[in-house]
Amino acid sequence: MTVKELAEKCNFKTAALPDGSREIDGCYIGDLLSWVMGRAEADCVWITIMSNLNIIAVASLADVACIVLSESVTVEDSIVKLAEEKGVNVLLSDKKTYETAVDVYKTI
Amino acid sequence: MKELSLNILDIAMNSVKANAGTITVSLAETPESFEIRIADDGCGMKRDFLETVTDPFSTTRTTRKVGMGIPFLKLAAEQTGGSFSIESKHESEYPDSHGTVTRAVFNKNSIDFTPLGDIVSTVTTLIQGSPGIRWIFKHSMPKGEVSLDTAELKEILGDVPLDNTEVILWIKGYLEEAYSEIL
Repeated sequence: MTVKELAEKCNFKTAALPDGSREIDGCYIGDLLSWVMGRAEADCVWITIMSNLNIIAVASLADVACIVLSESVTVEDSIVKLAEEKGVNVLLSDKKTYETAVDVYKTI
Repeated sequence: MKELSLNILDIAMNSVKANAGTITVSLAETPESFEIRIADDGCGMKRDFLETVTDPFSTTRTTRKVGMGIPFLKLAAEQTGGSFSIESKHESEYPDSHGTVTRAVFNKNSIDFTPLGDIVSTVTTLIQGSPGIRWIFKHSMPKGEVSLDTAELKEILGDVPLDNTEVILWIKGYLEEAYSEIL
């Protein structure tokens, strides 16, 4: 399953999709960035409600396949631009984190 | 980070890496606010680098392209409605007064305020890890102050190194006792 396919199947909007053909393996949920940085596994889908600049760096360090911002969280244009520059996929979900995770679970 | 003491450890390690001779960790607490100030006399940062340190994609590390200590502390302070600042003088421009001061102010009443955590372990870990540095630690609270200056310890200890296990245990006990008196 690629990030682009996940976005289509789960009805996630795409904020940034510089690497839509990236393959997904697993999922991690967390909002405390330092915690996520050490625990999210490479190639996973990372669901969070945090939307500041630092998430792009954490996603890049942990090498996740994509970030999914749940709970209708929005993201600033400057962060979208940075995500594209750094090759980080950012998707948007208007569902709650739990429901977003269930959708991801059923899809991947 | 789950505890501010881990943020403090991270920032103080930047001072160690900057070859500081003296590092001062000051915590100032009122019923409403919590301030962390870490000052060193290390090599400092050049102006163009200083402007990029809060950017998570800049770092002094070569093993990865981003360094997160400063961005995390800034985020932790700002998410409580507090503030963050960093000032630095590079040794090339200020040969006699170089160094860096990092300051973060937290609103303690914010629900997103991270607890300080095990500061005694942080302080002892820093001293044990870099016993050659003069460490000054101060924590002022409404009821009193905890303070430690390794230069004073060295005067008493003479040739006994600061990273001696018994010295470290003594420092730990001293700090714990000082805290128990003002908490």
